[in-house]
Amino acid sequence: MGSSVSHAAAPPPTAVGLAVALPPKQDEKAEPKNVDWLNLPCPVPFEEIQREASMSLKPELFEGLKFDFTKGLNQRFSLSHSIFMGSMELPSQSSDTFKVPTAHYEFGANFLDPKLMLVGRVLTDGRLNARVKCDLTDNLTLKINAQLTNEPHFSQGMFNFDYKGTDYRTQFQIGNNAFYGANYIQSISPHLSLGTEIFWLGHQRKSGIGFAARYNTDKIVATGQVASTGTVALSYVQKVSEKVSLASDFMYNHLTQDVTSSFGYDYILRQCRLRGKLDSNGVVAAFLEERLNMGVNFILSAEVDHRKKDYKFGFGMTVGE
Amino acid sequence: MTSRASLKGKGKAGKGSKGSEEGSSAAKCVKEWSTWAMKKAKVITHYGFIPLIIVIGMNSEPKPQLYQLLSPV
Repeated sequence: MGSSVSHAAAPPPTAVGLAVALPPKQDEKAEPKNVDWLNLPCPVPFEEIQREASMSLKPELFEGLKFDFTKGLNQRFSLSHSIFMGSMELPSQSSDTFKVPTAHYEFGANFLDPKLMLVGRVLTDGRLNARVKCDLTDNLTLKINAQLTNEPHFSQGMFNFDYKGTDYRTQFQIGNNAFYGANYIQSISPHLSLGTEIFWLGHQRKSGIGFAARYNTDKIVATGQVASTGTVALSYVQKVSEKVSLASDFMYNHLTQDVTSSFGYDYILRQCRLRGKLDSNGVVAAFLEERLNMGVNFILSAEVDHRKKDYKFGFGMTVGE
Repeated sequence: MTSRASLKGKGKAGKGSKGSEEGSSAAKCVKEWSTWAMKKAKVITHYGFIPLIIVIGMNSEPKPQLYQLLSPV
């Protein structure tokens, strides 16, 4: 079909000389590709819609000493030992921060196969963190996430069934406390994808619906999320160069009248990764991961909350891949 | 031992009442046994998940040696 069209559009012999005389037009940018509306790319999963902003603005800040050792027995099987000594913050209703000094040893085992992933972590107080990811077919994935404790009624578990289509993804969730959720995300252009989610909490008879949109090109990622629980979350990430990206985030909760806005940077350099952020709540945080040697990483974490006068500094080492 | 005896007692009582009232007590029976099954499944997962990963990992190719589980090298 294509060849007959080009034959019809072939220029007459006289114009060929003129076309040779004039230099051909050359665009520096790539020519705008014709969008193939039937072959749109698959969007990112719904829970990862704000992935770039979360990775830059929410590193795992901690206070105290952290030491992780991962030992690989096999390409797929590895054991991990982790020690943490420091303060953990307990959520409190008042504006005071409530810190509890804790120390624990955590043993973990990972089995990572392209089709089956099993990750288990057990702490000294008996808590178990289990994650299972299993590819049932090419497009259907089952994920199980569970935290089991020795105390009764504190355990949590969640089953997720993910289906990946050509240009859409859908997920169905079942959790304990009779939690049911579903979400769906669809690409509507090579750069824009829209998604929606609903959830229902059985025990508290609460339900909610939310909408999300994500626009990404090579250089920028902009997302917006609105939920019927009264939250609005917007984020914008700009990739300034191969090594630097800047991110900003805005969160508004209508019910608690909470507004938070943060700006951050993410430097990915050859030997280190430095992330920092500045918050509208008066929080300044930074997180540095420095590669000392092959497989040995040194970690520094700092979080300074000027409003609550809470200063958290942590250091640690990670050995092993 | 005592828990097993009490469970047997509960089951007999449940079967006895099933004859008199159908429907609702059958649903109660199912709910009771499913709660019992969930509790047992939780205990089994709590103790058996990490050993399960270790067993699956030790049997995957290339098979690691047993001493590698404990030595820090």
